[in-house]
Amino acid sequence: MEAPSDASILLLTLRVAAIATLLILPIGIFAAWRLSRRAGAGRTLAETLLSLPLVLPPTAVGLLLLELLSRSGPLGRLLDRLGIEILFTWKAVVLATAVMSFPLLVRPARTAFEEIEPRLLAMARSLGCGPIAVFRRVALPLAWRGVLSGTLLAFSRALGEFGATIMIAGNIPGRTQTMALAIFQRTHIGRDDAALRLVAITVVIAFTVVWTSEIVTRRRSRRSET
Amino acid sequence: MIELEIALPLSRFRLEVAAALPADTVAVLGPSGSGKTSLLESIAGLRPKAAGRVTIRGERVMDTKAGLKPPPERRRIGYVPQDACLFPHLNVGENVRFGMARRNGAALFEEAVRILEISPLLDRYPATLSGGERQRVALARAIATEPRLLLLDEPLAAVDPALRGRILPYLLRVRGSLGVPFLYVTHNAGEARAVAEAAIVLRAGAVTFAGTPDAALEMISADEDPEARFDNILSGLLEASGAGGENGLLRIGETRLVVPADPRAVPGTRAVYSVAPEDILVSTRPGRVVSVTIAGTDAWIGISAAGVEWTARLTRTASDVLGLAGGVEVWIAVKTQAFHRLG
Repeated sequence: MEAPSDASILLLTLRVAAIATLLILPIGIFAAWRLSRRAGAGRTLAETLLSLPLVLPPTAVGLLLLELLSRSGPLGRLLDRLGIEILFTWKAVVLATAVMSFPLLVRPARTAFEEIEPRLLAMARSLGCGPIAVFRRVALPLAWRGVLSGTLLAFSRALGEFGATIMIAGNIPGRTQTMALAIFQRTHIGRDDAALRLVAITVVIAFTVVWTSEIVTRRRSRRSET
Repeated sequence: MIELEIALPLSRFRLEVAAALPADTVAVLGPSGSGKTSLLESIAGLRPKAAGRVTIRGERVMDTKAGLKPPPERRRIGYVPQDACLFPHLNVGENVRFGMARRNGAALFEEAVRILEISPLLDRYPATLSGGERQRVALARAIATEPRLLLLDEPLAAVDPALRGRILPYLLRVRGSLGVPFLYVTHNAGEARAVAEAAIVLRAGAVTFAGTPDAALEMISADEDPEARFDNILSGLLEASGAGGENGLLRIGETRLVVPADPRAVPGTRAVYSVAPEDILVSTRPGRVVSVTIAGTDAWIGISAAGVEWTARLTRTASDVLGLAGGVEVWIAVKTQAFHRLG
């Protein structure tokens, strides 16, 4: 089987990372918003659980997902019955990267929501907004920098996911092999030069994304200062 | 007619307000920390733990005993908090339109912008506005929702001295042209008298007085409320003054009062002035003008009174209006605060 080109690996990686980010965006924003408005033990527990993928070994997360999705696992049986195949397909790559990137989206978004003056939200209610309208017309516009910065961080994390991906998606060239996996494989077979080419590409992408995120979070528009 | 019955546990005390006021415009007086803001927030529905009954012109806003406790968005109550609470990501126009009533919104928007004179501000963002401008925008935003009741929390004079009384002339105009009932929190009993038909005084969460604003004066003393003030509020028509233009004239009924020059003053328009009670002189000692010396726009008036020769400095207009000339009998009064010990 012919080895896929750098370009096709890059495309696969970008596509998977983009889908994963889009997938977690609504859930992540919702979770961040709810967490920012809660207090107490339940919130601390939820935050800790959400942050686990940040600190656990990615392979551990991968193994948990594998158990969950395997034919004998609780979710796997259901998916099997529905005829949906996830493990060792590109969908597994999406799932692994989504799970691993999720906390990186939620944390900055949550902080941004927390920074909103609660009285502004109360004011919006008093002016006739229901809870959803308050979120749409006040909270999100005031927190968009944090949300965007979290989205970019999650996306860049998704681009480089390795450990969880290899556990549930394997390293199948042309199907599940992303940049991170290809670098590993090329180095493994002694093609360091080819691996370094991919490294160069990832450096450029990661640099651009993180740089953009930094600029977005730093620059405070004059009008929102009070 | 505004009926209030609110109970709300606070950390310092329990807010327990019960008052039935035969008025649509009510001033809420009382020292800082007496529960005034908590009362307004309870009425607006922003205090989930507040229980009780609120009725405005016979319409029930809330009645927790009967299970009526609508969320803030269904109360139609226009709240103007102390800090105005404008949305920083929206410009003034967008802020005012934020909660605009569906049916009469556009007309109310125009009306609010006109009454509060904010049309030059519409494209600006809240961060660029002065404290007084923010208050006006917040009041306009509240009016545009076609509220059943307005709640106004006047910022403390100590926070922003330039702001004191600024919203008052606009509130008078709102009262005159829209007739929306309101509750107005103020530390100034004079303002209460000028805008409201009734007043309540709060102390540690309880109503210690309910009645007319004039009768509320007996409750206002500096030992109880260091921020308490009573300013005389005078509303009248501006008239063109004499040739010099160094003063203005305010006509109230048949009386013409000399007021300081104001470059923005347009003759024929309504103006509101405040006079601190400390600046009113009460005198029983007659004197006699001995000389009038005009120097430019100033007039130096020599007066013999109480066996002492005084020299007073008036503007030339004031001297003309009073008809001062040698031999005219006048009363003079010297403020106690005007005596500065030199040795």
